[in-house]
Amino acid sequence: MPKNSKGREIAEIIPAKCIGCERCLAACPVPEAMTMEGGVAIIFPEVCIGCGRCFDACPTEAIIFERVRKKKAAKPEAAGAAEAAASVDGHKGVAVFIEVYQGHGAEVSWELMGKARELADKLGTQVLGFLLGHNVKPVAEEAIAHGCDTVYMADSPAFQVYLSKLYGRAVAKMCQQVKPEILLLGATAMGRDLSGVVATILHAGLTADCTGLDIDMEKRLLLMTRPTFGGSIMATIVCQNQRPQMSTVRPRVMKLPRRDPGRKGEIRTLDLGAQADSLPQVIEFMPKAHEVGGVDITKAPVLVVVGKGACDSRHLPMLEDLARLLGGAVGCSRAVVQAGMLPYVRQVGQTGKTVAPSIYIGVGVSGAVQHLVGMQGSDRIIAINTDPHAPMMQIADYALVGDYLEVVPRLIKGIEARLPSLKGVSS
Amino acid sequence: MHIVACIKQVPDTTQVKIDPETNTLVRAGVESICNPYDLVAVEAGVRVAEKYGGKVTVITMGPPQADSALRQCLSLGASEAILLSDRAFAGSDTLATSYTLAQAVNKLNATEPVSLVICGKQAIDGDTAQTGPGLATWMDYTQLTYVVEIIEVADGFITVKREVEGGTEVIRGKLPALLTVELELNPVRYATLPELVRSLRQEIKVLGAKDIGGEPERYGLKGSPTSVKQIFAPPPHGGGKVFETASDSDKVIEDFLSTFFEKESSILSEVLSSDGSDHAQEQ
Ligand SMILES: Cc1cc2nc3c(=O)[nH]c(=O)nc-3n(C[C@H](O)[C@H](O)[C@H](O)COP(=O)(O)OP(=O)(O)OC[C@H]3O[C@@H](n4cnc5c(N)ncnc54)[C@H](O)[C@@H]3O)c2cc1C
Ligand SMILES: Cc1cc2nc3c(=O)[nH]c(=O)nc-3n(C[C@H](O)[C@H](O)[C@H](O)COP(=O)(O)OP(=O)(O)OC[C@H]3O[C@@H](n4cnc5c(N)ncnc54)[C@H](O)[C@@H]3O)c2cc1C
Repeated sequence: MPKNSKGREIAEIIPAKCIGCERCLAACPVPEAMTMEGGVAIIFPEVCIGCGRCFDACPTEAIIFERVRKKKAAKPEAAGAAEAAASVDGHKGVAVFIEVYQGHGAEVSWELMGKARELADKLGTQVLGFLLGHNVKPVAEEAIAHGCDTVYMADSPAFQVYLSKLYGRAVAKMCQQVKPEILLLGATAMGRDLSGVVATILHAGLTADCTGLDIDMEKRLLLMTRPTFGGSIMATIVCQNQRPQMSTVRPRVMKLPRRDPGRKGEIRTLDLGAQADSLPQVIEFMPKAHEVGGVDITKAPVLVVVGKGACDSRHLPMLEDLARLLGGAVGCSRAVVQAGMLPYVRQVGQTGKTVAPSIYIGVGVSGAVQHLVGMQGSDRIIAINTDPHAPMMQIADYALVGDYLEVVPRLIKGIEARLPSLKGVSS
Repeated sequence: MHIVACIKQVPDTTQVKIDPETNTLVRAGVESICNPYDLVAVEAGVRVAEKYGGKVTVITMGPPQADSALRQCLSLGASEAILLSDRAFAGSDTLATSYTLAQAVNKLNATEPVSLVICGKQAIDGDTAQTGPGLATWMDYTQLTYVVEIIEVADGFITVKREVEGGTEVIRGKLPALLTVELELNPVRYATLPELVRSLRQEIKVLGAKDIGGEPERYGLKGSPTSVKQIFAPPPHGGGKVFETASDSDKVIEDFLSTFFEKESSILSEVLSSDGSDHAQEQ
């Protein structure tokens, strides 16, 4: 137990465990005793009075405090609990917001439908679909085929084009009428834009980019797990007192459920009385070249990712061969974009695309934190690097130590030799 | 025109190292920087002000040390800086954060009405991208996210180009508006010496919960519906088999391929049987 110069026993932070949630700060009764620095809580030993409230508040055991106290400090959550129970009551069902593109449901919505089915079965409740658009009845039927029990549909010309406020208000209204306990949205450009609006109107909690969703059966709470700090820590977030419990999930994180065209469900039409807003007005839409016959690295089942260590345009065709052999695409690290070898749309990472291919092959990628956040969801990771201590080699399932110019040609030869038999088996 | 840029101080993730023993991040002693997206937001605001006339006020909610991030923004051409700092704000999730920022914008509106609020697309630490839409909703402003180009600001309207699923769109909306901006919107200038000197001397206004009014139960932990319940280490990725190819590369790579094709046969056949039209293919 650490002491300060006055001999008082004080609390101490373990930085590696601190996630910067600031619960300790909120609990600390002495304004000058704690602050945040570089995302980590720090305690000023000479000011700390050793009351231990920070210790009680910490959800991650990042605070050491051992002194025996007379009484345990009250948990801050206690406040407002009664009011909260009232707002939680009467909310049932796991809802999925169904994104529509050019008349079709987005794949991520069906992935979420699969997850919602699993959660609803645990809770003994229904899977609900929230659908906005114009002439979208076929999408509602698709939703049922993917596991939805009841689709709430607002079909109106007003919903032809996605607009933040219009959609946000409509989905919030659906929540107020239908009262789901959970609402899941895809962490797509639209889903991220929309979810913040809906959560704010409803004063609901919203957890971003979850990779795991489960139920605490005892408390009937949604456990929302999301990676933080480059995926080195997983944080489970709950939302105790507000409904719906909202969460976004990136595409390809959840498994696509099997489609059952014979499945029965109900479609209910809601009239939300929405008027087409004249503003904002979308003046022009320009489809992205790389998604019209080009390369979308977020959709490739196999991704060969070029790093600085393989940043040589003379050898790019070889890496493209490797990708093509496995039906994949070529992505890259930021260093390679900065070197001008590949365009920004190919960049994997925090400021590039988040990818989760079945097989990720990193070639001369060191594995900086900002890169790792964008690819940690990959099923299998193969790393090729001359440096066995590179972070990417530490997290790889298969770490090939060596010069990529030596390794890659041999990989190509070996895979070519094996493919015929494998393709024969699978077809 | 009065423009507000919202900025967040974040840990400098480039300084974060991975401890090879424990495979965890070493985060003690990491310095704080201004969120890179927010520097782009400030620059965008300053450019609009330079082109159409007006000034930029930067706001952050954070600990007292966050004033260094504000000073950096002043050096880039912002005129005024406000630090929202109060124990009452501690433990804010994005709902409480956006509420707090909204109260501050409301306060500014009382004296110098705000036409444009610019946020970063996301903060590189919390990484939720939720604060901008939250703030737009509290304020009931036109919401324009993922902006890659500001085309025109005129006669009470703004036209921008933004990233959407499958492409970009040009969209026109009414002011006041809230933008969240992508990194490629504009490069960030280097501060000139006189601006640097000014940024160090200028007073930063510090406001607490009482100064910005609002409902006390909407601030900080109390106003935050989400809470972190626990943390855990992610399951280690596979067995982490290492293949040293330096000595006998032909044999070692053959060994690797045999292992890989045997152990991962199901993933491989899934990959190879997946419908090519669904997925990206090199053209
Ligand atoms: C705010 C911010 C955001 C960022 N966002 C991103 C992002 O989105 N995506 C991203 O990737 N980065 C991002 N970065 C940059 C990131 O910090 C790293 O600098 C970058 O990822 C490094 O790229 P690299 O691994 O290709 O290069 P390096 O780190 O230089 O690694 C090269 C690797 O190649 C190996 N090598 C060398 N020669 C060979 C050889 N012949 N054969 C095999 N291996 C070899 C080396 O051992 C080394 O491990 C960001 C940084 C910041 C500050
Ligand atoms: C491990 C962990 C997980 C978390 N997960 C969630 C979660 O899932 N849901 C949730 O609601 N909260 C979550 N939080 C809390 C969240 O990080 C804070 O609320 C934070 O204040 C804002 O969110 P952000 O960092 O994601 O910023 P973003 O919403 O990504 O920021 C976007 C933009 O908003 C502006 N902005 C953000 N914060 C400030 C600020 N303090 N001052 C001025 N402008 C600002 C900036 O312009 C920024 O570029 C989490 C916190 C931790 C530590």
